[in-house]
Amino acid sequence: MALTLGLLVATSPFLLAHHSFSAEYDSNQPVKVTGTVTRVDWQNPHIWFFLDVKDEQGKVSNWGFSGAPPGVLQRRGISRDSLKAGDVVVVEGFRARDGSNNASGGKVTFADGRSVFTASNEDKAPR
Amino acid sequence: MSKIQTNVAALATVLAVVLVAMLNAQSKPVAQIPRAADGKPDLSGMWDNPKEPGSRAPATVFDKAKMAPFAPGGEALFYEPRTGDPRHDEPRAFCMPSGFPSAFLGPYPVQLIQTPQYLVMSTEFMNVTRIVPLDGRPHKTDIEPTFYGEPVGRWEGDTLVIEGRNYKRWSLDDWYYQNPKEYRMHSEAFHSIERLRRVDADTIAYEFTVDDPKIFTKPWSVQWEMKRHPEWEKTGLYEMVCNENNRCEGGKCRDSK
Repeated sequence: MALTLGLLVATSPFLLAHHSFSAEYDSNQPVKVTGTVTRVDWQNPHIWFFLDVKDEQGKVSNWGFSGAPPGVLQRRGISRDSLKAGDVVVVEGFRARDGSNNASGGKVTFADGRSVFTASNEDKAPR
Repeated sequence: MSKIQTNVAALATVLAVVLVAMLNAQSKPVAQIPRAADGKPDLSGMWDNPKEPGSRAPATVFDKAKMAPFAPGGEALFYEPRTGDPRHDEPRAFCMPSGFPSAFLGPYPVQLIQTPQYLVMSTEFMNVTRIVPLDGRPHKTDIEPTFYGEPVGRWEGDTLVIEGRNYKRWSLDDWYYQNPKEYRMHSEAFHSIERLRRVDADTIAYEFTVDDPKIFTKPWSVQWEMKRHPEWEKTGLYEMVCNENNRCEGGKCRDSK
């Protein structure tokens, strides 16, 4: 499992339209990690899911990622069973402003490339 | 064919074309819209949040080309400098109210329920409900201003006009404004005017007017549209409780344990 920080080309941040994205996440700090899901909080205002991520030295740290609101996901047919403890996923997002191991998680795929969920087009910034 | 016969034939052709055009104009179907028992257009249903017409991009309150010039001192009231204190700079990140119209502009469904006396406008986002009386009552006086103001509606033909007053000074930002130096606010003189017209079975044309005489020299308007989503009737609006798990409140994240 790999931990890659700050190596992605910065793209438009996925906005989740609950808070001002910029109040919580740093669009200059893209994050891409692969890890094993340890917990899913299927709660408002956004779901959170947590991954154990191993760095190059083999040290495991737990990361938290914010996803879309549960109602938004359910309306797209994505249920709380879509992501379970033990799943291995790749998450792309933007790191929390406080520098902690937390980030937005706008794009989530399984290890084989299947999409778990993403922010929708309408969540993206129009300008 | 004689010249007279030719002229008669030409005239007959012109008349026929005109007649067909008139018949087409008369028989062109008027957009069929559902109507309530009282004959008013029925706006009830599940709707997508307002979007930019055509492009379907998220609706913004602000189109600089449409904004009126600032009144004296208005610009300073409109642009609120960010200070670095997240409670001041983005109170919505602490689950404070979004205000109007911001709460209705995020990517969440809006349910409209119409009776002869009221239009209820409920958005899934933050579970905000506006109850708009339609009985012609005047605005209240001597009440405390509020985040969502006091809407009062009336019908002008098939257009529902909602005027909002009694707002407290609060954010007028949509959800996509990321200027790190400032955000945008209305004053307590803000007077909103909405014009909703169901133009076909699936569309509400929605004009939003900002009238804030402390900030702008005159009212100005933007145009949005809402699209109906009958498939959302089955589940209805989902509950959204902002404080349930607001883990990165104001940019400080809780420990993951």
